[in-house]
Amino acid sequence: MKARLNVPLAVTLVLGAFLLVALNDVGLLDGARIQRGLDNAGIFFADMVPPDTSVLPEVSRALIETIQIAFAGTMVGFVVALPLALLASASLVPYWVTLPVKLLLAFVRTVPAILWAIVFVVMVGLGPAAGTLGVALYSVGYLGKIFYELFEGTDPEVMEAVRGVGCGRLQLARHAVLPEASNGIVSQLLFMFEYNVRASSIMGFVGAGGIGYYLLGYVQTLEYQSLLMAVLVTLAAVLVIDRASSFVRAALR
Amino acid sequence: MAVTEAAEGRALAVSSDPASPFAGGAVGEVLAVELKDLVFSFRGSPRVLDSFSMTVPAGRLVMVLGASGSGKTTLLKLIKGLLLPRSGEVRLFGSPVRRRGTRGRLSPDIAYIPQQLGLVRSRTTLENALMGALGRVPSWRGLLGLFPAATVRDARQALDTLGIGHKSAERVRSLSGGERQRVAIARALVQRPRILLADEFISQLDPATTMEIMQLVRGVANSGVTVVMTTHELDVVERFAEWVVVLRDGTKLLDCPASEVRTSELAAMMKP
Ligand SMILES: Nc1ncnc2c1ncn2[C@@H]1O[C@H](COP(=O)(O)OP(=O)(O)O)[C@@H](O)[C@H]1O
Ligand SMILES: [Mg+2]
Repeated sequence: MKARLNVPLAVTLVLGAFLLVALNDVGLLDGARIQRGLDNAGIFFADMVPPDTSVLPEVSRALIETIQIAFAGTMVGFVVALPLALLASASLVPYWVTLPVKLLLAFVRTVPAILWAIVFVVMVGLGPAAGTLGVALYSVGYLGKIFYELFEGTDPEVMEAVRGVGCGRLQLARHAVLPEASNGIVSQLLFMFEYNVRASSIMGFVGAGGIGYYLLGYVQTLEYQSLLMAVLVTLAAVLVIDRASSFVRAALR
Repeated sequence: MAVTEAAEGRALAVSSDPASPFAGGAVGEVLAVELKDLVFSFRGSPRVLDSFSMTVPAGRLVMVLGASGSGKTTLLKLIKGLLLPRSGEVRLFGSPVRRRGTRGRLSPDIAYIPQQLGLVRSRTTLENALMGALGRVPSWRGLLGLFPAATVRDARQALDTLGIGHKSAERVRSLSGGERQRVAIARALVQRPRILLADEFISQLDPATTMEIMQLVRGVANSGVTVVMTTHELDVVERFAEWVVVLRDGTKLLDCPASEVRTSELAAMMKP
């Protein structure tokens, strides 16, 4: 009898082997180390409570700055993404225009906001301006793609009917493509803002403004009670914004 | 632009346009549509239309029939210029339709109502009707949505004539099928077309609404607009068509006055 290769079993064995090697290399198969980690976690958590309310004023100010970075970044990104998305829509513009714009958007999107923020810290210096630009640029890449997919998905009969009245492409975009996509645009914009609030809260790690500066600072100076306060405030803000945004998005549907 | 419920016997426009080189109509008739040896296929597919020729004198109401997939929609899109023929020629009022790629600007002289009407659902009845004027008003007005007062009056009047004026401010999303049909006609009329193309125009309406809408279409034809519509409804053909064209697999099976063919014969020809 000929032995047949059992493909699922082989795949499982290979992946399992890779997993073991990887876990060992990153040090997670080291029992003593894990024990040490658990002990430290206990101490860490014990040191965190109660949260230090005296830092509330500075943490609140930083949180507001975080939300400002997210909001300004989202809106600037939106204003740039919208025309680029129109230029990337195959249903409006010829291929030789859409292709380079699509590539540009893909490139911008490949780099995470925090890396863009580092670039902007170098360019415009430390502070929230760099964070805002980082968030804005990433938003251009993300919203640009979502928007052109929305635009290209416009009901072809609507496109044909409105084109049929004899109008040009700008009019077509203004009167058919954008109105048909309007709910999707608002909904994606809210989602982007939610995402950017989270992204903005770590901008401070690279000196690009917001509450991340304090989060990192409290870790480095071992002020765990202040850290807990900052984390709680951030968490509360993110939860409130997520709820509000998903409520509005559900209402749009 | 008014829709007139005028006399049945319309005078065909006798114009001074030079006679078309391959005119098929009677002497003195202006040909609104001339199709000569049209061949069309989608990329990598067999031919949808094969050596298709047809002429439509101005002001006539033509109904194009045929089984599903016989090429009716393709035919209308070729006339509108949404598709370009592989070979053959489309002439409208004697002049060839210029081939400027499928994305170029289309002529406002031909109104096209697609099968699902192609209305912008998130916009109001009035806004949709006004879109008919986009090919005519200055670009900046169109972009800002600031239509001239006279155009707005036109649009409102068209909506009133079509019996949908009271729903001007409602979003198309919330209208019934018959109401949407009226909005689509209004948009077409605001365009002030010389030719109206309508695809499967009344396929989704109840009989009473169908009759009302067809009266309106006949009114449009009576006002001098050439109407080419595709349909499945034989009773509509019987009552309203002046001329009948039957398509089968992209070729013409019949092309004659409606009075010269019996409904039962048409039914037989439409079987796939
Ligand atoms: N976009 C397309 N790509 C390929 N084939 C198509 C496309 N649209 C229509 N066809 C084909 O062309 C033929 C004619 O279609 P159509 O003109 O829509 O017929 P009808 O309107 O009479 O139902 C059909 O066989 C259909 O499958
Ligand atoms: Mg069809």
